[in-house]
Amino acid sequence: MTPSVPAVLFELAALMARATEPGMPEAERAPALRMSAAILATAAEQSDAAADHLVAENRAIAALLGDTASEASFRVSALKSENDRLRGRLIEAHVAAEQAGDQVRQDAIWAELVAGVERRNLANCPF
Amino acid sequence: MSHPLEPRIAAYIAGKTPQASDVAVSGLERISGGASRETYRFVLTWREDGRTLSRRMILRRDPPASLIDTERRIEFEAYAAFHGSAVPVPQMLWLEETDDALDHPFFIAEELAGFQAAPQLLFSGPYDAVLPKVAERKWTILGEIAKADPKALGLDRWMEAPPLDGCWKRELDDWEGVIDREAAEPYPITRAAIRWLRANPPPPARKLSVVHGDYRTGNFLYDEAGEIRGVLDWEMSHLGDPLEDLGWGLQPVWQFSRGLAGGLASQADAVATWERASGLKADPAALHWWTLFNCVKGQGIWVGSARAFLDGGNRDPIIIYSAWWLLNIQERAMLRVMGKL
Repeated sequence: MTPSVPAVLFELAALMARATEPGMPEAERAPALRMSAAILATAAEQSDAAADHLVAENRAIAALLGDTASEASFRVSALKSENDRLRGRLIEAHVAAEQAGDQVRQDAIWAELVAGVERRNLANCPF
Repeated sequence: MSHPLEPRIAAYIAGKTPQASDVAVSGLERISGGASRETYRFVLTWREDGRTLSRRMILRRDPPASLIDTERRIEFEAYAAFHGSAVPVPQMLWLEETDDALDHPFFIAEELAGFQAAPQLLFSGPYDAVLPKVAERKWTILGEIAKADPKALGLDRWMEAPPLDGCWKRELDDWEGVIDREAAEPYPITRAAIRWLRANPPPPARKLSVVHGDYRTGNFLYDEAGEIRGVLDWEMSHLGDPLEDLGWGLQPVWQFSRGLAGGLASQADAVATWERASGLKADPAALHWWTLFNCVKGQGIWVGSARAFLDGGNRDPIIIYSAWWLLNIQERAMLRVMGKL
């Protein structure tokens, strides 16, 4: 998730503190809190699933690339950093497969990309 | 407690209306959902010719950082050009391009009051009987925008006119550039879509049209009878291929999980209505290109929202919502348009 869940929670904490102060116009307080509630619900969902999804995806992409997924730390931030590295390499591999006309390789990459979108799917998304 | 902007807005309007006295602003209320401009509604009261008058108005002010960087003059002039035409829009009143009055540039327009914009409400049940009417009006109005002559509207003065065979490249270059500059993480599906778009360019535009740039369910006002009473959010308007607007409205994100174009009609019905109103033909292959392009454009917008948060320029919750909910859904939409899902 970008921005990261911790960064968003820090921001919402600050917003809620401001919302308790009398200086915040009522016209801004209610919409800000409504939107914050929706974001908090998504953060709750993600806080449980994020590490599991990142480990699964990093291992799947690494296998596809013949790479090794670093699991030196299971902090979400460390797993996400490794995920960015692997997805960057996946783009390069995809370009190479297209240029080589390697349809089997392209199909394997597309299958992983489809799986990745499903992993990131959020419950109750209205889109 | 009154909003601190109220006396400042009143002072600005008083300076623009020397015939008025006792100019006052009340009931200022932030309208949620506007992520690229801060949008407020308020009531203006004043005395003129011995009478007390009032009018509901909208303030659209630039935020410190936005999902979309656009010129507020272009948005203002687009609204003004279509006012009084077959394309319903609110009347523009004042444009201020400096930071002097309200810290950031802004414009003030009449409020089209008493109507709704939210897709969630439109699809919640009470409007079911009029959804076909909304659909017919939505795609007809978009056809009217496509049919309009930008030069006759005077918009060629404010908007650059690309060559007919260069519309697609200008847009793709612009939005790929946004993603290059602002992406905080790799997007393999988006990059694959961009490669496909470059390898399979569409034919030249059939005509140069005004492109609204964000014509989707949620950016128009509807009433209980299913009539569309105002087309909003012209901040990305420009001149280009009319299929660009059609493709934006057809991209899967704007189906709102209903499996219908814009959540309202089959794609075939939407395109047929647009063709009748515009007098143009939507070549299926070209429309497919523009639909996928608009998935990339959407991703550019959501990438921009994440960047605005990360850089600290805008920490509004709507920015977080856009990034978290739409970055992945937009890539899912690309997979569907590309036949991979």
